[in-house]
Amino acid sequence: MTNRIQIGVIFIIINLSFGYLVYPNLIYTLAKTAHWEVVLCQAFLQLLLIWIYFKGLSFFPEKDVIDIYLKMGRWFTFIFLTPLIINLVTLFALNIRLHTEVIISIFLPRTPYWSIMILLFFISIYTAVKGLGTILRSSVIIFLIVIPLVLLNIFTSVVNFDVHNVTPSWSLPHKFLFNIKFLYLIGFSSFLFLGFISSNTKLKLRHLLVPWVSVTLFFLTVVYIPLFIFGQEAVVTLNNPFLEAMDSIDISWFSFNRQAIFFGVSLVGLVILTNAVLLWMIGQIIQKMLKRQKEELSYWMMAISMIAVILSIFIPSKSLIEKYFLWSTNVQAFFMFVIPITIFIYGFLAKRGVFGYEK
Amino acid sequence: MKNNKTFTLLIVIMSTIFLCGCWDIKDINKRSLPLVMGISKEAEEEYKLTLQIPILENENQISKVVTGKGNTVASILGQIRTNSEDAVDYTQIRLIVIQSNLAHSEKEFKELIKFLMVSKEIPSRALVAITDESIEKVLANINDKLGVQATSIYDFFNKGGGWAPEMFSIPIWEVYRSAFLFTKDIAIPVVRSGKDTVLVFEGSDILKKGNIIERISPHETQLINVFQNKNEKGKIESLGFASIMVTNSSIQNKTSMKNNKPVLSSDLKLKMYILEREEGITDNRIRRELEMLIEKRFYNILKKTQERNADIFGFGQQFQHMLSYNELKDWRNVYYPNLKVNFKVHANME
Repeated sequence: MTNRIQIGVIFIIINLSFGYLVYPNLIYTLAKTAHWEVVLCQAFLQLLLIWIYFKGLSFFPEKDVIDIYLKMGRWFTFIFLTPLIINLVTLFALNIRLHTEVIISIFLPRTPYWSIMILLFFISIYTAVKGLGTILRSSVIIFLIVIPLVLLNIFTSVVNFDVHNVTPSWSLPHKFLFNIKFLYLIGFSSFLFLGFISSNTKLKLRHLLVPWVSVTLFFLTVVYIPLFIFGQEAVVTLNNPFLEAMDSIDISWFSFNRQAIFFGVSLVGLVILTNAVLLWMIGQIIQKMLKRQKEELSYWMMAISMIAVILSIFIPSKSLIEKYFLWSTNVQAFFMFVIPITIFIYGFLAKRGVFGYEK
Repeated sequence: MKNNKTFTLLIVIMSTIFLCGCWDIKDINKRSLPLVMGISKEAEEEYKLTLQIPILENENQISKVVTGKGNTVASILGQIRTNSEDAVDYTQIRLIVIQSNLAHSEKEFKELIKFLMVSKEIPSRALVAITDESIEKVLANINDKLGVQATSIYDFFNKGGGWAPEMFSIPIWEVYRSAFLFTKDIAIPVVRSGKDTVLVFEGSDILKKGNIIERISPHETQLINVFQNKNEKGKIESLGFASIMVTNSSIQNKTSMKNNKPVLSSDLKLKMYILEREEGITDNRIRRELEMLIEKRFYNILKKTQERNADIFGFGQQFQHMLSYNELKDWRNVYYPNLKVNFKVHANME
């Protein structure tokens, strides 16, 4: 039971972490009015993919994604999962660097970025090396720290709202559905990790409904807070609309006068856990694919994360980080379509006995 | 096992070595925090930037005014930082006073607002005010009268409900936003240095798409506040033969479109209290005169702003659900000049 709650909590945390930074900008470029349609369509697409994923996984009880791929064949696994590892490593590196840049711009303007990054790396590597149990337990603590801050951010921003800044409308036809960028959006809603822990949890889709609803609501607030404050026209000129929106709030009645600090602190918590999960996924794939011992795993993870550290330190400029981050989420989106669908098809065929080695 | 624990402890203790990295940190007592910033630029001249900085040194609290000149605001900020004995931290600036010559030159004003908005150090919550006087005079006055207590300048602009309904405040982000909005323009408060009080409120400048077009009086400013749903409570009106105080107000707007022309009917309900009156003046007459006065004042501003296509009342915001996004783009030029407003004041005795 607690396990299910913890998984839901991780699901929320990872989505929050990816949703805060580049996500609103993408939505604003996709639609000029009725942004909620884009967010809801993306959320339903996510739910559909999770459903396919779970359906596919349910054909193989007690197995996780990697086991299923291994069952398909070793070469198959290599072809599918090696690019996934590369993608996860880049995502791991860029995610930390992106968050670091924002944290620096919020409250550590004179600190070199590598020192913050190494701190973040160190904690997430430590959590990942300790294993899934630690990740699950720490997720609850981080959730309890971060969610009040997120809610504080949302509720205090209401003073600056001008509801008239958003044109209430339906926009038909849905042009964005045919825009390739819309499909890329799914890269921001990570759910792939659910398949990695399926072997020892009996997670059903209905257990995820509450987290899914809260994540959707969160995505709506992330998109609409800057919109209510600045309006569509001004928001597209801003680099980091959510941060600017937080910065516009005057909370001098509080002992801290900068709202954005809370935003920064919550980002730290979110990015640590998200990266721990990403690294743990990488570790799982390597361990099962190369049939390594569990003891050896921590060395592999450290080696991989060293690559990520070097990668993230050597990206020269902020605009490049955003560009690369977008690319890696686009690739991630590709996997989010391919993995659930292949597993579903394979499971379906295997159940029909096409491959001949069913019981 | 025991050995392992000592080893862990050793690593934890060794991590204190990293504290050496903090050797050049500037704590809050080593920083000077400017609170008020003034910017001016005469045509063909350099920017001039003035800062009011409180300095807290143990017992004696002093404050000073620092001025710098340069080609850009950013360069002056850097220059002041170089020449200052403490580390100058711009993150606590509460008020930015802009000289009206600079505010009236379109290009420079827009660039300045953009710089202030994008700048990571200067908070976008800082309030903006315009002055006709020289910046040094205003800041020197703030420094003389408030000194270290300059944070209270914030209270000058935010008096709270029922105290001074004419007064309002505009932060940088709202000025920045106003250059992009289709259906709303804003006003920026105009101040000058007072003889006895720190500042004197002189009215406000109407900003259309980021350009200043017109100056209006405090009375007119207050009407704009009323349309932003701010209560008129506490407003004192003098009619010559009587004075009244508004104790409560509420406004209701109804929007409609007739022949593709926007129509708005607006009812302002006032509750008033008669402070003084000449002998023989009836309640009815005071009421009638007050209604006429406010209606006349309103139509006066409406006419002025419709001629200049500046929707200072933000009426366009209320037509958001009637017009499409593309039609709203033309609100200022196509729809707003044809807007018909039926404004009625209903004054009542308390």
